Amino acid sequence: MAVAAPARPAAADLLGVFTPEVFAAHLASQAALPSWWLERKRSAYSRFESLPMPRRTDESWRFSNIAGINLGGFSPAADAPAPGNRRAPEALAIAPAATLSFLNGRLSASTPLPADLAARGVVASAISGAIARHPGLLREHFMAQPQKLGSAKFAALHEAFIQDGAFILIPRGVEIDGPIVVVHEVSGAGAAVFPHTLVIAEDNARATVVDHFVSADLSRQFACGANDLYAGHGAKIAYAAAQCWSPEALSLQFNSTVVRRNARVQSLNLHLGGRQARHESLSQLQAPGGFSEMLAITIASGSMECDQRTLQIHQAPSTKSDLLYKNALLDRSRTIFSGLIIVDPDAQKTDAYQSNRNLMLSDEAESNSLPGLEIQANDVRCTHGATSSRIDPEQEFYLKSRGIPQKAADELLIFGFFEEVLNRLESEELHAALRKLIRAHLRR
Amino acid sequence: MSEITDTEQLETTAENPVIGIDQLAGDFKYDMTYDFDAGTGLSERTVDYISAVKKEAPWIREFRQNALKTFLSKPLPTHWASKDLETIDFSKIRYYLSQGLKPKRTWDEVPADIKRTFERLGIPEQERKYLAGVEAQFDSEAAYSNIKEAVSKQGVIFVNSTEGLRAHPEIFRRFFGKVIPTGDNKFSALNSAVFSGGSFIYVPPGVKVSHPLQAYFRINAENFGQFERTLIICDEGSELTYMEGCTAPKFSTATLHSAVVELVALKGAKIQYITVQNWSSNVFNLVTKRGLAHEEAQIKWIDCNIGSRLTMKYPGVVLKGRKARGEVISIALANDGQHQDTGAKMIHAADETTSTVVSKSISVGQGRATYRGIVHIPRQLKGCKNNTECDALLINTNSRTDTYPAITVRGDRHAVQHEASVSRVSAEQIFYMQQRGLTEGQAMSLSVNGFVNELARQFPMEYSVELKRLIDLEMEGSVG
Amino acid sequence: MSSLEIKNLHVSTGDKEIVKGVTLAINTGEIHAVMGPNGAGKSTMAKAIAGHPDYTITQGDVLLDGKSILEMESDERARAGIFLAFQYPSEIPGVSIANFLRAAIQARMSEGEEIDASGFYKRLYQKMDLLKIERTFTSRAVNEGFSGGEKKRTEILQMAMLEPRFALMDETDSGLDIDALRVVADGVNSLRGPSLGILLITHYQRLLGYIVPDFVHVMIDGCIVKSGDKTLALELESRGYDWVKKEFANA
Repeated sequence: MAVAAPARPAAADLLGVFTPEVFAAHLASQAALPSWWLERKRSAYSRFESLPMPRRTDESWRFSNIAGINLGGFSPAADAPAPGNRRAPEALAIAPAATLSFLNGRLSASTPLPADLAARGVVASAISGAIARHPGLLREHFMAQPQKLGSAKFAALHEAFIQDGAFILIPRGVEIDGPIVVVHEVSGAGAAVFPHTLVIAEDNARATVVDHFVSADLSRQFACGANDLYAGHGAKIAYAAAQCWSPEALSLQFNSTVVRRNARVQSLNLHLGGRQARHESLSQLQAPGGFSEMLAITIASGSMECDQRTLQIHQAPSTKSDLLYKNALLDRSRTIFSGLIIVDPDAQKTDAYQSNRNLMLSDEAESNSLPGLEIQANDVRCTHGATSSRIDPEQEFYLKSRGIPQKAADELLIFGFFEEVLNRLESEELHAALRKLIRAHLRR
Repeated sequence: MSEITDTEQLETTAENPVIGIDQLAGDFKYDMTYDFDAGTGLSERTVDYISAVKKEAPWIREFRQNALKTFLSKPLPTHWASKDLETIDFSKIRYYLSQGLKPKRTWDEVPADIKRTFERLGIPEQERKYLAGVEAQFDSEAAYSNIKEAVSKQGVIFVNSTEGLRAHPEIFRRFFGKVIPTGDNKFSALNSAVFSGGSFIYVPPGVKVSHPLQAYFRINAENFGQFERTLIICDEGSELTYMEGCTAPKFSTATLHSAVVELVALKGAKIQYITVQNWSSNVFNLVTKRGLAHEEAQIKWIDCNIGSRLTMKYPGVVLKGRKARGEVISIALANDGQHQDTGAKMIHAADETTSTVVSKSISVGQGRATYRGIVHIPRQLKGCKNNTECDALLINTNSRTDTYPAITVRGDRHAVQHEASVSRVSAEQIFYMQQRGLTEGQAMSLSVNGFVNELARQFPMEYSVELKRLIDLEMEGSVG
Repeated sequence: MSSLEIKNLHVSTGDKEIVKGVTLAINTGEIHAVMGPNGAGKSTMAKAIAGHPDYTITQGDVLLDGKSILEMESDERARAGIFLAFQYPSEIPGVSIANFLRAAIQARMSEGEEIDASGFYKRLYQKMDLLKIERTFTSRAVNEGFSGGEKKRTEILQMAMLEPRFALMDETDSGLDIDALRVVADGVNSLRGPSLGILLITHYQRLLGYIVPDFVHVMIDGCIVKSGDKTLALELESRGYDWVKKEFANA
């Protein structure tokens, strides 16, 4: 037998298919973009190379299936998807103010903003176009926040390989009623995509943005996405994401929300797809009066693992955060909710809430809850709660006693369970559209 | 509730609104002549020395040596625990010293200087009568051990662990190290290598021990780690309450205390284990406590942590039999320079098992109180329930509290609920009491007392000297 | 005409037998009152007939138009025409009354048949007006945060909407003040007719002043010990249950 190789991790373990050669090829395809952008990508790639893979002992990966985070077998998605294998993904039933559709990371269709909004400086465009027009804003807000939830390596991968994404800018004082809808579609077996949505709401601006993640086929894919939300003073962002990747997909998504003085951000993430879907969400409340509302609905089925890591950081006094994550678990699915509220030493008058509710619908399902608090100021109101329970048999009997069959009764009760989250949405239209996606998913 | 009588004293200590347990009360020491001393540092020779002094059987010496290997191979758990652990210098600790191997039988035989120590601790005359049924560990070995006549008549074995090993190997060996395996964590391995002292209790089937058995532990040697090992077995249908209270003198360098306590409640048995911990604020108190509850058995840990520099202690119950019940009641008070890292582990391993955790912590000054919990319900069980409540009270603007529970539930036939809240003393409440003529300090003291008293009622007050003294009176008197 | 026959019914919960051999036949168009002290087994009997999973029928049978319903799931029994008005109706957060009733009515329609939304609301509002229930209630979650009276009126509303053949009304009068009682009784009386049979469980005569029964049965310790017409209820009101117990013991 040959002498054993020195014990250092093989490059494939650390980099998967994202080798320096693959990165060089990607960079070459982006050569037309400004050099500062390419430089950022190079620096991101070297971070990706040097950072370790998650380890079992990492607290931020506790209970996660680390073996499932395998970057082998993918390649950056091709320009044109393989023809003939597309399914028609369920569309969102909303009338948008504008749409941007990305297929395998490239802008494939768009509906422009109404002329009056465009005239007032509202931008809903591809990032590739914004790099030249809004370099300052991109430098300031694109992937600018710290990665505190365990995926610094994958965030670097995202930044290195991002093809394109949505750039949404609402200038100071502009208010938009209809939602701006961004569709990120992936097509083809083994395709890796790096979807991005950047929302900048300047002071006193208001907008609703919806991300819709869909797979054109049911194959194994890799989505390594990020979204950055920035709410300037008095701004108001309502953000919703419907994650409907293929049931075979590996999805890593990183959200960063920055909330300035008297600003308010509401984000709702609906997780329906993926074999393994990890979502990291960081809210930083940076100035008094800021409010971040973090909502999520997960329907975990099959052998899906939905892994949600959240961090609410109160960096200034008189800020508020309210998190409500609800999971319904079917089949052999697993969920992990790990949430932390941090109240910095001077953030007095913080009002922070965090709640994780798991509805267990199968004897094989497993929920893991890690609701955490780190509080360093005393004049605060901080509470958290986590529950795991089944459908209440008395409620079920009550429904059945009215003639509603078991399956319909359970569906009603699941909707009842999620209603508390959906009711937080201001837009009835969005509420109905998400309900429709959930219903279609449950009735598959 | 006790009345505040000495308002003058309140005023003189009013500059810092701190609820200080009077840690100076234990801040004294007497010179001791140690008959046996294993020196400082830890090696195979230290372990052999301890085993030889105790004239142990070969199997237990081997057990210790294996544990030492486990201890040395395990890293410090600093990926989740406090980095403060890194300041422990294991080579500067004395792992064994003893007054002599033969436990004292009567009060008269207890050395005068030890009696003096008890006096300074303020254990009143009438309490010493209770000590007739008490295993009082002084440093490593029991300095005083006397089984209450009534208890021994019932067939209860209550001896120190060394004697338990020697006189009752058949029971000891069957249960020892089974609830907490050596490799459970680095500090359980350390204890398994160098343990001495602690209690061994066996309660025969159906016997209900009416008085709590008590043991007081003290550390009284600089750099001297105390590694007591307690094993309690309650046979079918029996009942026992055990109380453990500790205070320690203060020294200039850190002292390590690393106990292992194993409880076994056989079918239908009930064990209640009460701890009042008030080590001086240089002590690292790294303790592993766990009980195994068989069918319809109940294990309840009542744990009050007031002293030490860093306490890491998460009493647990493995609910092994159908309808077993586990409970942890925890009070922690963290003052300046202290970190109370406490919590509970509830491992459900049978149908219809229930567990309850209630934790209340108070952080004063720059004190830090942490709750860590595990609730685990594996697959294929049904009808399990857990309810956990954690409340933290922050007294000063820079006080700190953390909560890190981990809850795993498999299957759709269980109900699990965790709730935690953080608050400070309500200004409204303080104003209300001030309007009735109380000073701010008195009002604060009453309020904090109310916060804790909800749980303090769970303690059998008639026996709980330590708790009453340490929480009720001292806390009230030192709030300003 | 339909019939609901309860034959030598024995019901247990856990190891305890609560109903110990009840025989009773109800036809549509009739109102039977079952009276008896607390713990007599009246509610247990009603829940067992409706198919509550906590109760086991150990002996006897329940026949709807001659066919046993015991093999049927609780929802099938409901669709077959049996309605239980609960003593303590469940709160169902997140499920509005309108959605709930729509689901219940949809469940009674054949595959592919869709509910007529405007007809549904027209009927719903009409029944709500009758029961003096505010229309905003349709968007409130079922029973969540309702007062006792609101809960009971909502039960009658559901009964009116679902048009059962037999209604088992479990202590519908409990927790109601006199005004609420009158509203509920008016509602029930408006539903009274040849196509509905009612089993009215109560332990006070009070309700029977508003809803006049055709038959009165006295249930004690799991058995029906005496039956008669509405005058029996008045007699119970004035003399209590003890004389019935004695009479039964002597028999």
